[in-house]
Amino acid sequence: MIWPYLTHLLILIGIYVILTVSLNLALGYTGLLNLGHVAFFGIGAYTSALLTKAGVPFLLAFIIAGIFASIFGYLLVLATRKLKGDYLALATLGFSFVIYSLMLNWTGLTRGPLGIPGIEKPSFFGLTISSTYSYLIFVAVICILSVFVIYRIVKSPFGRLLEATRDDEMGLRVLGKNTFKLKYKAMMISAFFAGIAGSLFAHYITYIDPSYFTIPEIILLLSIVIVGGIASIKGSIVSTFVILLIPEALRFLALSSSILGPARQVIYAMILLGILLLRPRGIFGRVDLE
Amino acid sequence: MSLLAQLTVNGLIAGAIYALVAAGFSLIYSTNKFMHFAHGISVVVGAYILYSLFSLIGIPFYLACILTLIFSSLFGLGTYRLMYLPLQNKKASNVVLLIASIGVLILFQNVIQLIFGPDVKSVGYIKVARGLNVFGAIITPLQIVIILISITLFVLLYLFMKKSKLGRDMRAVSDNKELASIMGINHKRIADYSFIIGSFLAGVAGILIGLEQNLNPTMGTILIIKGFTGAVIGGVGFIPGAVLGSFLLGLAENFSIWFLPSGYKDAIAFVLLFIFLLLKPTGLFGINKDVKK
Repeated sequence: MIWPYLTHLLILIGIYVILTVSLNLALGYTGLLNLGHVAFFGIGAYTSALLTKAGVPFLLAFIIAGIFASIFGYLLVLATRKLKGDYLALATLGFSFVIYSLMLNWTGLTRGPLGIPGIEKPSFFGLTISSTYSYLIFVAVICILSVFVIYRIVKSPFGRLLEATRDDEMGLRVLGKNTFKLKYKAMMISAFFAGIAGSLFAHYITYIDPSYFTIPEIILLLSIVIVGGIASIKGSIVSTFVILLIPEALRFLALSSSILGPARQVIYAMILLGILLLRPRGIFGRVDLE
Repeated sequence: MSLLAQLTVNGLIAGAIYALVAAGFSLIYSTNKFMHFAHGISVVVGAYILYSLFSLIGIPFYLACILTLIFSSLFGLGTYRLMYLPLQNKKASNVVLLIASIGVLILFQNVIQLIFGPDVKSVGYIKVARGLNVFGAIITPLQIVIILISITLFVLLYLFMKKSKLGRDMRAVSDNKELASIMGINHKRIADYSFIIGSFLAGVAGILIGLEQNLNPTMGTILIIKGFTGAVIGGVGFIPGAVLGSFLLGLAENFSIWFLPSGYKDAIAFVLLFIFLLLKPTGLFGINKDVKK
Protein backbone atom coordinates (compact mmCIF):
# COMPACT_ATOMS: atom_id res chain seq x y z
CA MET A 1 0.00 0.00 0.00
CA ILE A 2 2.73 2.45 0.96
CA TRP A 3 5.13 1.58 -1.86
CA PRO A 4 3.06 2.65 -4.91
CA TYR A 5 2.32 5.90 -3.07
CA LEU A 6 6.00 6.46 -2.26
CA THR A 7 6.91 5.74 -5.89
CA HIS A 8 4.34 8.32 -6.98
CA LEU A 9 5.85 10.90 -4.63
CA LEU A 10 9.37 10.16 -5.81
CA ILE A 11 8.33 10.59 -9.46
CA LEU A 12 6.83 14.00 -8.65
CA ILE A 13 9.94 14.92 -6.68
CA GLY A 14 12.13 13.94 -9.63
CA ILE A 15 10.11 16.16 -11.98
CA TYR A 16 10.19 19.05 -9.50
CA VAL A 17 13.94 18.70 -8.99
CA ILE A 18 14.40 19.32 -12.74
CA LEU A 19 12.01 22.26 -12.55
CA THR A 20 13.53 23.93 -9.51
CA VAL A 21 17.17 23.35 -10.41
CA SER A 22 16.50 24.82 -13.86
CA LEU A 23 14.65 27.77 -12.30
CA ASN A 24 17.62 28.33 -10.03
CA LEU A 25 19.88 28.48 -13.08
CA ALA A 26 17.90 31.51 -14.34
CA LEU A 27 16.76 33.05 -11.06
CA GLY A 28 19.71 32.29 -8.80
CA TYR A 29 22.77 31.99 -10.98
CA THR A 30 21.93 34.48 -13.71
CA GLY A 31 19.76 36.85 -11.67
CA LEU A 32 16.89 36.70 -14.17
CA LEU A 33 13.86 37.33 -12.00
CA ASN A 34 11.68 34.82 -13.73
CA LEU A 35 8.25 34.35 -12.14
CA GLY A 36 6.99 32.68 -15.31
CA HIS A 37 8.90 29.40 -15.12
CA VAL A 38 5.63 27.52 -14.82
CA ALA A 39 4.73 28.71 -18.34
CA PHE A 40 7.69 26.76 -19.77
CA PHE A 41 6.56 23.74 -17.78
CA GLY A 42 3.09 24.10 -19.29
CA ILE A 43 4.38 24.68 -22.81
CA GLY A 44 6.46 21.51 -22.51
CA ALA A 45 3.54 19.50 -21.16
CA TYR A 46 1.10 20.64 -23.86
CA THR A 47 3.64 20.33 -26.69
CA SER A 48 4.56 16.80 -25.78
CA ALA A 49 0.97 15.70 -25.14
CA LEU A 50 -0.34 17.17 -28.40
CA LEU A 51 2.54 15.84 -30.49
CA THR A 52 2.25 12.27 -29.24
CA LYS A 53 -1.52 12.49 -29.77
CA ALA A 54 -0.73 13.43 -33.37
CA GLY A 55 1.40 10.31 -33.73
CA VAL A 56 4.88 11.72 -33.15
CA PRO A 57 7.15 9.21 -31.32
CA PHE A 58 7.58 9.98 -27.63
CA LEU A 59 11.31 10.61 -27.65
CA LEU A 60 10.98 13.16 -30.45
CA ALA A 61 8.03 14.86 -28.74
CA PHE A 62 10.02 14.94 -25.49
CA ILE A 63 12.96 16.75 -27.15
CA ILE A 64 10.68 19.10 -29.11
CA ALA A 65 8.87 19.98 -25.86
CA GLY A 66 12.19 21.19 -24.46
CA ILE A 67 13.20 23.02 -27.63
CA PHE A 68 9.81 24.69 -27.96
CA ALA A 69 9.91 25.91 -24.35
CA SER A 70 13.42 27.14 -24.92
CA ILE A 71 12.33 29.18 -27.96
CA PHE A 72 9.77 30.88 -25.72
CA GLY A 73 12.60 31.45 -23.22
CA TYR A 74 14.53 33.30 -25.89
CA LEU A 75 11.49 35.37 -26.87
CA LEU A 76 10.80 36.26 -23.23
CA VAL A 77 14.34 37.54 -22.67
CA LEU A 78 14.26 39.36 -25.99
CA ALA A 79 10.98 41.07 -25.11
CA THR A 80 11.91 41.96 -21.53
CA ARG A 81 15.56 42.88 -22.07
CA LYS A 82 15.02 46.52 -21.08
CA LEU A 83 13.21 45.80 -17.82
CA LYS A 84 14.77 45.44 -14.40
CA GLY A 85 13.80 44.50 -10.85
CA ASP A 86 10.13 44.09 -10.00
CA TYR A 87 9.01 45.21 -13.47
CA LEU A 88 10.95 42.33 -15.00
CA ALA A 89 9.45 39.98 -12.43
CA LEU A 90 5.95 41.22 -13.25
CA ALA A 91 6.47 40.99 -17.00
CA THR A 92 7.52 37.35 -16.62
CA LEU A 93 4.49 36.76 -14.41
CA GLY A 94 2.37 38.43 -17.10
CA PHE A 95 3.96 36.10 -19.66
CA SER A 96 2.78 33.09 -17.65
CA PHE A 97 -0.75 34.56 -17.57
CA VAL A 98 -0.70 35.01 -21.35
CA ILE A 99 0.35 31.37 -21.83
CA TYR A 100 -2.28 30.27 -19.31
CA SER A 101 -5.05 32.15 -21.10
CA LEU A 102 -3.93 30.64 -24.41
CA MET A 103 -4.19 27.15 -22.90
CA LEU A 104 -7.61 28.06 -21.55
CA ASN A 105 -9.04 29.78 -24.63
CA TRP A 106 -7.40 28.23 -27.65
CA THR A 107 -9.95 25.45 -27.41
CA GLY A 108 -9.38 24.25 -30.98
CA LEU A 109 -5.88 23.17 -29.99
CA THR A 110 -5.89 22.63 -26.22
CA ARG A 111 -9.56 21.80 -25.53
CA GLY A 112 -9.48 24.66 -23.00
CA PRO A 113 -10.61 23.86 -19.44
CA LEU A 114 -11.55 20.30 -20.45
CA GLY A 115 -7.87 19.50 -20.71
CA ILE A 116 -6.20 16.71 -22.63
CA PRO A 117 -7.01 13.22 -21.35
CA GLY A 118 -5.48 9.89 -22.29
CA ILE A 119 -1.92 11.01 -22.89
CA GLU A 120 -0.01 7.85 -23.71
CA LYS A 121 2.78 6.43 -21.55
CA PRO A 122 6.25 6.90 -23.05
CA SER A 123 7.51 4.23 -25.40
CA PHE A 124 10.81 4.18 -27.24
CA PHE A 125 13.16 1.60 -28.76
CA GLY A 126 10.31 -0.87 -28.64
CA LEU A 127 9.73 -0.75 -24.89
CA THR A 128 6.82 0.98 -23.18
CA ILE A 129 7.08 2.48 -19.73
CA SER A 130 3.77 1.48 -18.28
CA SER A 131 4.32 0.65 -14.59
CA THR A 132 5.03 3.43 -12.09
CA TYR A 133 8.23 1.68 -11.00
CA SER A 134 9.73 1.80 -14.46
CA TYR A 135 8.50 5.40 -14.79
CA LEU A 136 10.37 6.22 -11.59
CA ILE A 137 13.56 4.80 -13.07
CA PHE A 138 12.98 6.76 -16.27
CA VAL A 139 12.36 10.02 -14.36
CA ALA A 140 15.35 9.36 -12.11
CA VAL A 141 17.64 8.91 -15.13
CA ILE A 142 16.40 12.10 -16.81
CA CYS A 143 16.53 13.97 -13.50
CA ILE A 144 20.11 12.94 -12.72
CA LEU A 145 21.21 13.75 -16.28
CA SER A 146 19.53 17.19 -16.13
CA VAL A 147 21.01 18.07 -12.76
CA PHE A 148 24.41 16.88 -13.92
CA VAL A 149 24.25 19.03 -17.07
CA ILE A 150 23.11 22.11 -15.13
CA TYR A 151 25.77 21.46 -12.49
CA ARG A 152 28.47 21.31 -15.17
CA ILE A 153 27.10 24.50 -16.74
CA VAL A 154 27.22 26.52 -13.52
CA LYS A 155 30.71 25.26 -12.69
CA SER A 156 32.02 26.04 -16.18
CA PRO A 157 33.59 29.36 -17.27
CA PHE A 158 30.21 30.08 -18.90
CA GLY A 159 28.56 29.61 -15.49
CA ARG A 160 30.98 32.08 -13.93
CA LEU A 161 30.01 34.59 -16.61
CA LEU A 162 26.35 34.04 -15.72
CA GLU A 163 27.06 34.78 -12.07
CA ALA A 164 29.05 37.83 -13.11
CA THR A 165 26.02 39.00 -15.14
CA ARG A 166 23.96 38.77 -11.98
CA ASP A 167 26.48 40.53 -9.75
CA ASP A 168 27.77 43.27 -12.01
CA GLU A 169 26.22 43.44 -15.43
CA MET A 170 27.73 46.82 -16.26
CA GLY A 171 31.20 45.64 -15.27
CA LEU A 172 30.91 42.62 -17.53
CA ARG A 173 29.77 44.79 -20.42
CA VAL A 174 32.81 47.02 -19.89
CA LEU A 175 34.93 43.90 -20.30
CA GLY A 176 33.33 43.43 -23.71
CA LYS A 177 30.95 40.58 -22.90
CA ASN A 178 27.54 40.49 -24.50
CA THR A 179 25.36 40.10 -21.40
CA PHE A 180 22.15 39.91 -23.43
CA LYS A 181 23.54 36.81 -25.14
CA LEU A 182 24.49 35.30 -21.78
CA LYS A 183 21.03 35.99 -20.40
CA TYR A 184 19.11 34.47 -23.25
CA LYS A 185 21.36 31.44 -23.33
CA ALA A 186 20.78 30.89 -19.60
CA MET A 187 17.03 31.38 -20.00
CA MET A 188 16.91 29.03 -22.99
CA ILE A 189 18.71 26.28 -21.07
CA SER A 190 16.48 26.87 -18.06
CA ALA A 191 13.33 26.78 -20.21
CA PHE A 192 14.52 23.65 -22.05
CA PHE A 193 14.69 21.68 -18.80
CA ALA A 194 11.35 23.07 -17.62
CA GLY A 195 9.92 21.94 -20.98
CA ILE A 196 11.17 18.36 -20.65
CA ALA A 197 9.95 18.32 -17.04
CA GLY A 198 6.54 19.30 -18.46
CA SER A 199 6.72 16.38 -20.89
CA LEU A 200 7.61 13.96 -18.06
CA PHE A 201 4.71 15.32 -16.03
CA ALA A 202 2.14 15.10 -18.85
CA HIS A 203 3.05 11.52 -19.75
CA TYR A 204 3.10 10.48 -16.11
CA ILE A 205 -0.31 11.73 -15.01
CA THR A 206 -1.72 11.21 -18.56
CA TYR A 207 -4.16 14.12 -18.16
CA ILE A 208 -3.36 17.84 -18.21
CA ASP A 209 -5.49 20.96 -18.02
CA PRO A 210 -4.55 24.65 -17.68
CA SER A 211 -5.12 24.72 -13.90
CA TYR A 212 -1.81 22.88 -13.34
CA PHE A 213 0.11 25.88 -14.64
CA THR A 214 -1.07 28.86 -12.56
CA ILE A 215 -0.09 31.06 -9.62
CA PRO A 216 -0.20 28.39 -6.87
CA GLU A 217 2.34 26.41 -8.88
CA ILE A 218 4.54 29.52 -9.10
CA ILE A 219 4.35 29.90 -5.32
CA LEU A 220 5.44 26.28 -4.88
CA LEU A 221 8.41 26.64 -7.25
CA LEU A 222 9.51 29.92 -5.66
CA SER A 223 9.18 28.46 -2.15
CA ILE A 224 11.36 25.51 -3.07
CA VAL A 225 14.04 27.58 -4.79
CA ILE A 226 14.17 30.31 -2.15
CA VAL A 227 14.09 27.92 0.82
CA GLY A 228 16.82 25.78 -0.74
CA GLY A 229 18.89 28.80 -1.52
CA ILE A 230 19.50 31.32 -4.27
CA ALA A 231 22.23 29.97 -6.56
CA SER A 232 22.54 26.59 -4.88
CA ILE A 233 21.79 23.39 -6.77
CA LYS A 234 22.23 21.28 -3.67
CA GLY A 235 19.76 23.55 -1.87
CA SER A 236 17.10 23.19 -4.56
CA ILE A 237 17.36 19.41 -4.51
CA VAL A 238 17.17 19.08 -0.73
CA SER A 239 14.40 21.62 -0.52
CA THR A 240 12.32 19.90 -3.22
CA PHE A 241 12.33 16.72 -1.12
CA VAL A 242 11.51 18.54 2.12
CA ILE A 243 8.79 20.87 0.79
CA LEU A 244 7.00 18.25 -1.28
CA LEU A 245 7.03 15.79 1.61
CA ILE A 246 5.90 18.15 4.41
CA PRO A 247 2.23 18.45 3.31
CA GLU A 248 2.06 14.67 2.96
CA ALA A 249 1.86 14.59 6.77
CA LEU A 250 -1.66 15.98 6.26
CA ARG A 251 -2.66 12.72 4.61
CA PHE A 252 -2.45 10.93 7.93
CA LEU A 253 -5.09 13.29 9.30
CA ALA A 254 -7.58 11.77 6.83
CA LEU A 255 -8.83 15.14 5.63
CA SER A 256 -11.18 15.38 2.71
CA SER A 257 -9.61 16.41 -0.58
CA SER A 258 -11.52 19.73 -0.58
CA ILE A 259 -9.58 20.66 2.55
CA LEU A 260 -6.32 18.99 1.59
CA GLY A 261 -5.77 21.19 -1.49
CA PRO A 262 -6.12 24.58 0.20
CA ALA A 263 -4.33 23.35 3.33
CA ARG A 264 -1.35 22.40 1.21
CA GLN A 265 -1.37 25.84 -0.45
CA VAL A 266 -1.51 27.49 2.98
CA ILE A 267 1.55 25.50 4.04
CA TYR A 268 3.49 26.42 0.89
CA ALA A 269 2.62 30.10 1.23
CA MET A 270 3.59 30.13 4.92
CA ILE A 271 6.90 28.42 4.14
CA LEU A 272 7.58 31.07 1.48
CA LEU A 273 6.69 34.00 3.76
CA GLY A 274 8.62 32.45 6.65
CA ILE A 275 11.82 32.00 4.69
CA LEU A 276 11.57 35.53 3.25
CA LEU A 277 11.28 36.93 6.78
CA LEU A 278 13.93 34.72 8.39
CA ARG A 279 16.56 34.13 5.75
CA PRO A 280 15.69 35.56 2.32
CA ARG A 281 18.71 34.00 0.62
CA GLY A 282 17.61 30.53 1.70
CA ILE A 283 19.31 27.80 3.66
CA PHE A 284 22.20 27.05 1.29
CA GLY A 285 21.96 30.37 -0.55
CA ARG A 286 25.00 32.44 -1.36
CA VAL A 287 23.48 35.67 -2.65
CA ASP A 288 20.42 37.85 -2.03
CA LEU A 289 17.50 38.15 -4.38
CA GLU A 290 17.61 41.59 -5.97
CA MET B 1 -26.82 51.24 -31.57
CA SER B 2 -28.18 49.54 -28.52
CA LEU B 3 -25.27 47.07 -28.62
CA LEU B 4 -22.83 49.98 -28.62
CA ALA B 5 -24.62 51.53 -25.64
CA GLN B 6 -24.79 48.21 -23.80
CA LEU B 7 -21.10 47.48 -24.29
CA THR B 8 -20.24 51.00 -23.11
CA VAL B 9 -22.37 50.58 -19.99
CA ASN B 10 -20.89 47.14 -19.26
CA GLY B 11 -17.42 48.55 -19.81
CA LEU B 12 -18.05 51.42 -17.40
CA ILE B 13 -19.37 49.09 -14.67
CA ALA B 14 -16.39 46.74 -15.01
CA GLY B 15 -14.09 49.76 -15.20
CA ALA B 16 -15.54 51.28 -12.01
CA ILE B 17 -14.71 48.14 -10.02
CA TYR B 18 -11.24 47.81 -11.57
CA ALA B 19 -10.62 51.50 -10.92
CA LEU B 20 -11.44 51.12 -7.22
CA VAL B 21 -8.93 48.28 -6.99
CA ALA B 22 -6.39 50.21 -9.06
CA ALA B 23 -6.75 53.45 -7.09
CA GLY B 24 -5.90 51.75 -3.80
CA PHE B 25 -3.08 49.75 -5.37
CA SER B 26 -1.68 52.86 -7.01
CA LEU B 27 -1.90 54.93 -3.81
CA ILE B 28 0.04 52.26 -1.94
CA TYR B 29 2.55 51.97 -4.76
CA SER B 30 3.09 55.71 -5.01
CA THR B 31 4.11 56.15 -1.37
CA ASN B 32 5.83 52.79 -0.86
CA LYS B 33 7.31 52.03 -4.28
CA PHE B 34 6.59 48.34 -4.22
CA MET B 35 3.87 46.19 -5.71
CA HIS B 36 1.24 45.26 -3.11
CA PHE B 37 -0.14 42.35 -5.13
CA ALA B 38 -2.00 41.12 -2.04
CA HIS B 39 -4.29 44.13 -2.52
CA GLY B 40 -6.53 41.76 -4.47
CA ILE B 41 -7.12 39.67 -1.37
CA SER B 42 -8.05 42.78 0.66
CA VAL B 43 -11.00 43.13 -1.72
CA VAL B 44 -12.01 39.50 -1.26
CA VAL B 45 -11.57 39.68 2.52
CA GLY B 46 -13.89 42.72 2.48
CA ALA B 47 -16.50 40.88 0.43
CA TYR B 48 -16.41 37.80 2.69
CA ILE B 49 -16.57 39.92 5.86
CA LEU B 50 -19.71 41.56 4.51
CA TYR B 51 -21.10 38.13 3.65
CA SER B 52 -20.35 36.82 7.18
CA LEU B 53 -21.67 39.88 9.03
CA PHE B 54 -24.75 40.53 6.95
CA SER B 55 -25.77 37.20 5.44
CA LEU B 56 -24.61 34.79 8.15
CA ILE B 57 -24.86 36.77 11.41
CA GLY B 58 -27.61 39.14 10.30
CA ILE B 59 -26.15 42.49 11.36
CA PRO B 60 -28.05 45.41 9.70
CA PHE B 61 -26.70 46.11 6.26
CA TYR B 62 -25.24 49.59 6.71
CA LEU B 63 -23.61 48.70 10.03
CA ALA B 64 -22.16 45.59 8.36
CA CYS B 65 -20.74 47.79 5.59
CA ILE B 66 -19.07 50.13 8.08
CA LEU B 67 -17.57 47.20 9.99
CA THR B 68 -16.39 45.70 6.70
CA LEU B 69 -14.61 48.91 5.73
CA ILE B 70 -12.93 49.15 9.14
CA PHE B 71 -11.85 45.53 8.94
CA SER B 72 -10.46 45.84 5.39
CA SER B 73 -8.46 48.92 6.39
CA LEU B 74 -7.04 47.05 9.38
CA PHE B 75 -6.31 44.04 7.20
CA GLY B 76 -4.27 46.20 4.82
CA LEU B 77 -2.47 47.86 7.72
CA GLY B 78 -1.78 44.43 9.19
CA THR B 79 -0.16 43.11 6.01
CA TYR B 80 2.08 46.18 5.98
CA ARG B 81 3.06 46.04 9.65
CA LEU B 82 3.43 42.28 9.95
CA MET B 83 4.89 41.42 6.54
CA TYR B 84 6.25 44.30 4.50
CA LEU B 85 7.70 46.44 7.30
CA PRO B 86 9.78 43.62 8.84
CA LEU B 87 11.03 42.79 5.32
CA GLN B 88 11.86 46.44 4.64
CA ASN B 89 13.71 46.62 7.94
CA LYS B 90 15.84 43.72 6.70
CA LYS B 91 16.59 45.74 3.54
CA ALA B 92 14.65 43.35 1.32
CA SER B 93 14.58 44.28 -2.36
CA ASN B 94 11.37 45.17 -4.20
CA VAL B 95 11.39 41.75 -5.81
CA VAL B 96 11.34 40.07 -2.41
CA LEU B 97 8.41 42.31 -1.40
CA LEU B 98 6.61 41.41 -4.64
CA ILE B 99 7.12 37.68 -4.05
CA ALA B 100 5.99 38.10 -0.44
CA SER B 101 2.85 39.90 -1.58
CA ILE B 102 1.98 37.08 -3.99
CA GLY B 103 2.57 34.72 -1.06
CA VAL B 104 0.15 36.71 1.12
CA LEU B 105 -2.43 36.66 -1.69
CA ILE B 106 -2.26 32.88 -2.05
CA LEU B 107 -2.16 32.36 1.73
CA PHE B 108 -5.39 34.24 2.43
CA GLN B 109 -7.11 32.97 -0.70
CA ASN B 110 -6.70 29.46 0.67
CA VAL B 111 -7.51 30.44 4.24
CA ILE B 112 -10.83 31.85 2.95
CA GLN B 113 -11.38 28.66 0.98
CA LEU B 114 -10.75 26.58 4.12
CA ILE B 115 -13.22 28.67 6.14
CA PHE B 116 -16.00 29.19 3.60
CA GLY B 117 -15.45 26.35 1.12
CA PRO B 118 -14.74 26.62 -2.60
CA ASP B 119 -18.34 27.10 -3.74
CA VAL B 120 -19.75 30.53 -4.63
CA LYS B 121 -21.56 32.65 -2.04
CA SER B 122 -23.98 35.47 -2.56
CA VAL B 123 -24.64 38.36 -0.19
CA GLY B 124 -28.24 38.68 -1.37
CA TYR B 125 -29.02 42.13 0.02
CA ILE B 126 -30.43 43.46 -3.21
CA LYS B 127 -33.17 41.54 -4.92
CA VAL B 128 -32.78 41.22 -8.65
CA ALA B 129 -34.22 44.46 -9.93
CA ARG B 130 -35.67 45.33 -13.28
CA GLY B 131 -33.07 47.06 -15.43
CA LEU B 132 -33.58 50.61 -16.62
CA ASN B 133 -33.32 51.45 -20.26
CA VAL B 134 -30.73 54.15 -20.91
CA PHE B 135 -30.11 54.95 -24.60
CA GLY B 136 -31.03 51.40 -25.48
CA ALA B 137 -28.76 49.83 -22.83
CA ILE B 138 -30.08 47.89 -19.85
CA ILE B 139 -28.62 49.00 -16.53
CA THR B 140 -29.76 48.00 -13.04
CA PRO B 141 -30.12 50.59 -10.23
CA LEU B 142 -27.30 48.83 -8.36
CA GLN B 143 -24.99 49.27 -11.32
CA ILE B 144 -25.77 52.99 -11.40
CA VAL B 145 -24.97 53.13 -7.68
CA ILE B 146 -21.66 51.33 -8.31
CA ILE B 147 -20.62 53.87 -10.93
CA LEU B 148 -21.77 56.84 -8.79
CA ILE B 149 -20.04 55.62 -5.61
CA SER B 150 -16.78 54.96 -7.38
CA ILE B 151 -16.76 58.31 -9.18
CA THR B 152 -17.60 60.12 -5.92
CA LEU B 153 -14.73 58.33 -4.18
CA PHE B 154 -12.30 59.22 -6.95
CA VAL B 155 -13.23 62.90 -6.68
CA LEU B 156 -12.87 62.78 -2.89
CA LEU B 157 -9.55 60.96 -3.17
CA TYR B 158 -8.32 63.53 -5.69
CA LEU B 159 -9.33 66.44 -3.44
CA PHE B 160 -7.80 64.67 -0.44
CA MET B 161 -4.47 64.21 -2.21
CA LYS B 162 -4.48 67.79 -3.51
CA LYS B 163 -5.81 69.79 -0.57
CA SER B 164 -5.34 68.00 2.75
CA LYS B 165 -2.15 68.12 4.77
CA LEU B 166 -1.94 64.32 4.86
CA GLY B 167 -2.51 64.04 1.12
CA ARG B 168 0.23 66.56 0.43
CA ASP B 169 2.58 64.70 2.76
CA MET B 170 1.80 61.54 0.83
CA ARG B 171 2.61 63.17 -2.47
CA ALA B 172 5.83 64.52 -0.97
CA VAL B 173 6.89 61.03 0.16
CA SER B 174 5.87 59.66 -3.23
CA ASP B 175 7.97 62.26 -5.01
CA ASN B 176 11.08 62.06 -2.88
CA LYS B 177 11.19 60.05 0.31
CA GLU B 178 14.57 61.35 1.48
CA LEU B 179 13.63 64.97 1.02
CA ALA B 180 10.26 64.41 2.68
CA SER B 181 11.88 62.94 5.80
CA ILE B 182 14.30 65.86 5.93
CA MET B 183 11.25 68.12 5.94
CA GLY B 184 10.00 66.24 9.00
CA ILE B 185 7.49 63.94 7.35
CA ASN B 186 7.50 60.53 9.01
CA HIS B 187 7.36 58.19 6.03
CA LYS B 188 6.39 55.17 8.13
CA ARG B 189 3.29 57.03 9.33
CA ILE B 190 2.55 57.94 5.69
CA ALA B 191 2.96 54.29 4.72
CA ASP B 192 0.47 53.32 7.46
CA TYR B 193 -2.06 55.82 6.14
CA SER B 194 -1.57 54.79 2.53
CA PHE B 195 -2.28 51.17 3.45
CA ILE B 196 -5.33 52.19 5.52
CA ILE B 197 -6.81 54.38 2.76
CA GLY B 198 -5.85 52.02 -0.06
CA SER B 199 -7.38 49.04 1.72
CA PHE B 200 -10.46 51.09 2.59
CA LEU B 201 -10.97 51.53 -1.16
CA ALA B 202 -10.43 47.78 -1.54
CA GLY B 203 -13.16 47.27 1.08
CA VAL B 204 -15.55 49.47 -0.93
CA ALA B 205 -14.74 47.42 -4.02
CA GLY B 206 -15.35 44.25 -1.99
CA ILE B 207 -18.80 45.46 -0.87
CA LEU B 208 -19.83 46.50 -4.37
CA ILE B 209 -18.63 43.21 -5.87
CA GLY B 210 -20.43 41.34 -3.11
CA LEU B 211 -23.67 43.06 -4.10
CA GLU B 212 -23.20 42.75 -7.85
CA GLN B 213 -21.93 39.20 -8.28
CA ASN B 214 -21.24 35.90 -6.54
CA LEU B 215 -18.20 35.52 -4.32
CA ASN B 216 -15.55 32.88 -4.63
CA PRO B 217 -12.20 32.66 -2.86
CA THR B 218 -10.06 32.77 -6.00
CA MET B 219 -11.47 36.03 -7.38
CA GLY B 220 -8.71 38.08 -5.69
CA THR B 221 -6.06 37.03 -8.18
CA ILE B 222 -8.06 38.03 -11.22
CA LEU B 223 -9.16 41.29 -9.54
CA ILE B 224 -5.64 42.41 -8.73
CA ILE B 225 -4.50 41.49 -12.23
CA LYS B 226 -7.29 43.65 -13.66
CA GLY B 227 -6.64 46.50 -11.22
CA PHE B 228 -2.92 46.26 -11.74
CA THR B 229 -3.32 46.21 -15.52
CA GLY B 230 -5.53 49.30 -15.30
CA ALA B 231 -2.88 50.98 -13.16
CA VAL B 232 -0.10 50.03 -15.59
CA ILE B 233 -2.10 51.33 -18.57
CA GLY B 234 -2.57 54.69 -16.86
CA GLY B 235 0.74 54.90 -14.98
CA VAL B 236 1.32 52.90 -11.80
CA GLY B 237 2.23 55.62 -9.34
CA PHE B 238 -0.27 58.19 -10.64
CA ILE B 239 -3.74 57.70 -9.18
CA PRO B 240 -5.89 59.61 -11.74
CA GLY B 241 -3.98 57.76 -14.48
CA ALA B 242 -4.65 54.41 -12.81
CA VAL B 243 -8.37 55.24 -12.59
CA LEU B 244 -8.58 56.27 -16.25
CA GLY B 245 -6.54 53.24 -17.30
CA SER B 246 -8.94 50.95 -15.45
CA PHE B 247 -11.96 52.43 -17.22
CA LEU B 248 -10.12 51.98 -20.52
CA LEU B 249 -9.46 48.35 -19.61
CA GLY B 250 -13.12 47.77 -18.72
CA LEU B 251 -14.22 49.25 -22.04
CA ALA B 252 -11.53 47.40 -24.03
CA GLU B 253 -12.58 44.08 -22.49
CA ASN B 254 -16.23 44.58 -23.27
CA PHE B 255 -15.70 45.90 -26.79
CA SER B 256 -13.36 42.97 -27.49
CA ILE B 257 -16.34 40.62 -27.76
CA TRP B 258 -17.13 42.37 -31.01
CA PHE B 259 -14.19 40.74 -32.74
CA LEU B 260 -13.03 37.97 -30.37
CA PRO B 261 -14.79 34.95 -28.83
CA SER B 262 -16.07 35.98 -25.39
CA GLY B 263 -13.75 33.46 -23.71
CA TYR B 264 -10.87 35.77 -24.52
CA LYS B 265 -12.33 38.61 -22.41
CA ASP B 266 -10.03 37.89 -19.46
CA ALA B 267 -7.07 37.34 -21.75
CA ILE B 268 -7.36 40.96 -22.96
CA ALA B 269 -6.05 42.16 -19.59
CA PHE B 270 -3.12 39.74 -19.62
CA VAL B 271 -2.10 40.73 -23.12
CA LEU B 272 -2.50 44.48 -22.46
CA LEU B 273 -0.52 44.10 -19.23
CA PHE B 274 2.30 42.32 -21.01
CA ILE B 275 2.37 44.78 -23.91
CA PHE B 276 2.34 47.85 -21.64
CA LEU B 277 5.03 46.46 -19.33
CA LEU B 278 7.24 45.82 -22.34
CA LEU B 279 6.58 48.85 -24.49
CA LYS B 280 5.38 51.58 -22.18
CA PRO B 281 5.93 50.64 -18.52
CA THR B 282 5.38 54.25 -17.49
CA GLY B 283 1.79 54.01 -18.73
CA LEU B 284 -0.15 56.49 -20.80
CA PHE B 285 -0.21 59.31 -18.26
CA GLY B 286 2.41 58.36 -15.69
CA ILE B 287 5.83 59.71 -14.99
CA ASN B 288 7.82 57.00 -13.30
CA LYS B 289 11.53 57.17 -12.80
CA ASP B 290 11.88 53.77 -11.17
CA VAL B 291 11.03 51.51 -14.09
CA LYS B 292 14.45 51.08 -15.59
CA LYS B 293 16.69 52.32 -12.80
